[in-house]
Amino acid sequence: MAVTEEERSPAKIWGIGVRQIVYMALGAALYGGLSWVTNIIQIPSAGNVSFRPAIVIPLFFGAVFGPWVGLVTGGLGNFLGDYISGYGIYWNWDVGNALIGFIAGLAVLTTFGRYNNTRNIIVAEVFAAIGVVVGIGFAAYTDIWISKMSFATATIGELVPAAGSDLINGLILLPILLIAYNAAMRRYGRG
Amino acid sequence: MLLLVWPPKCEKHAMLINFPYIKRDTPIHRLDPRAKLLLLFLYGLAAAQTSNFWFILAGFIGAAYYYGLARLKWSETKRVWYFIIALNVMLVVFNYFLSAGSVVQGVDLTHQHILFSIPFIGFSSKPPFIVPTPLIFSAESITFMITQGLRNFGIAFLAIPIPFTTNPGHMGIAFKGMGVPDKFSYAIDLSFRFLPSVTRDFGTTLDAQRARGFEIDKLSGGIFSKIAKLAPMVVPVVIGSVVGAEDIINAMELRCFGVGKRTWLVLLHPRPVDRVVITLTIVGFFAVTLLNILGNFYTTGFLHVLHTQGIPQFLFP
Repeated sequence: MAVTEEERSPAKIWGIGVRQIVYMALGAALYGGLSWVTNIIQIPSAGNVSFRPAIVIPLFFGAVFGPWVGLVTGGLGNFLGDYISGYGIYWNWDVGNALIGFIAGLAVLTTFGRYNNTRNIIVAEVFAAIGVVVGIGFAAYTDIWISKMSFATATIGELVPAAGSDLINGLILLPILLIAYNAAMRRYGRG
Repeated sequence: MLLLVWPPKCEKHAMLINFPYIKRDTPIHRLDPRAKLLLLFLYGLAAAQTSNFWFILAGFIGAAYYYGLARLKWSETKRVWYFIIALNVMLVVFNYFLSAGSVVQGVDLTHQHILFSIPFIGFSSKPPFIVPTPLIFSAESITFMITQGLRNFGIAFLAIPIPFTTNPGHMGIAFKGMGVPDKFSYAIDLSFRFLPSVTRDFGTTLDAQRARGFEIDKLSGGIFSKIAKLAPMVVPVVIGSVVGAEDIINAMELRCFGVGKRTWLVLLHPRPVDRVVITLTIVGFFAVTLLNILGNFYTTGFLHVLHTQGIPQFLFP
């Protein structure tokens, strides 16, 4: 189905209305909830990084509903995951996760949130990969200043295992979710 | 492989979320959530500006006292503490070994007080990039390790009480009170309300898939295959939630959400003690920042103190 002029408008992509607020909250709850289950499992020698298939949630919400929804889903979702696990709040990792969702959401600038062809799914994957590297990179390298870690520790101990794990999880699950979402929207007459 | 133990054992009990909040009457429970958040954030930023042992020790003692005021029992927080202790020890030791002991940022290490050294390996800029290097244990590097541990535990002492002493229903309004726009604050509030239902859906879906023969505990294949096999659990919950959210959106639009200024059911009124904590936190942060800036212009004396390690005398050989 063709993308309408309204869907291409900057207001549609960058605007924050009721729809975006609900999806922000829902995305954050899903990310936090799924992270809660998997927070218990830690990657060996991965610092404060957990093995989380839930990383696909901010990537998916960003890719479908835009950068602001992705930003809040990532940042707030990570906050919620740590909150309900009782770990407290670690702001640089919240900002890092927010960046993941935001950058993944920039795919909407070319896909307009429609993933009914291979090209758009690949675009979403590329933005998701960039988002993971930039977001985890931000969190890991700010730990050099906050926790006085060395560059090598931040890279080998946090960036590589966390970004590697998130890339594998996110890039496998994201197309599956996008295809399923596309099918669901078609079924409901919204695709 | 990690996925072999996925999901964790707790999943077998019930997929019902339990917020860590424990209702109790302590000074930290009564403290305004904004004061707790601000204290954590500014303490972290202040502690990041120095590796002076005595400053970090003072902060650690203050943070430990704050934690003590929350009267959290070991049985309530032990799971969190096991994780935090393991993480911090791993981080500090890992950092030391990866940096071959040269981990003190912003301090001249050309005249270290070496205590002893052991054969180790280090990184090199030339092939084969990993070469034998002695791992030095000096007064400076050991002090740095202790300081790093104290800093991280100090932050943990302020971070852990937040979920245990703050009513989750007050988080949205707390962020609103700190200047976060209404819409985002409401999203925070709404996300806390969504959490129980999405985790319940997650449990229901897992049970339904198990009834169809999906054995999440016994996923086979390589890591890519295992992740792909998680889809039957993740996809129905996410897509079901997104589709179901349409009803919530319609209900909110019908009630003209966002048209006028939003009012909140709960209002936070800071007490004098909350104002004192907030004021002291801000003043303390600016004092440390000013001292840090002035330390760049003065090479000796108290004004340079944040740029020194303040090594305890007993550590010198």
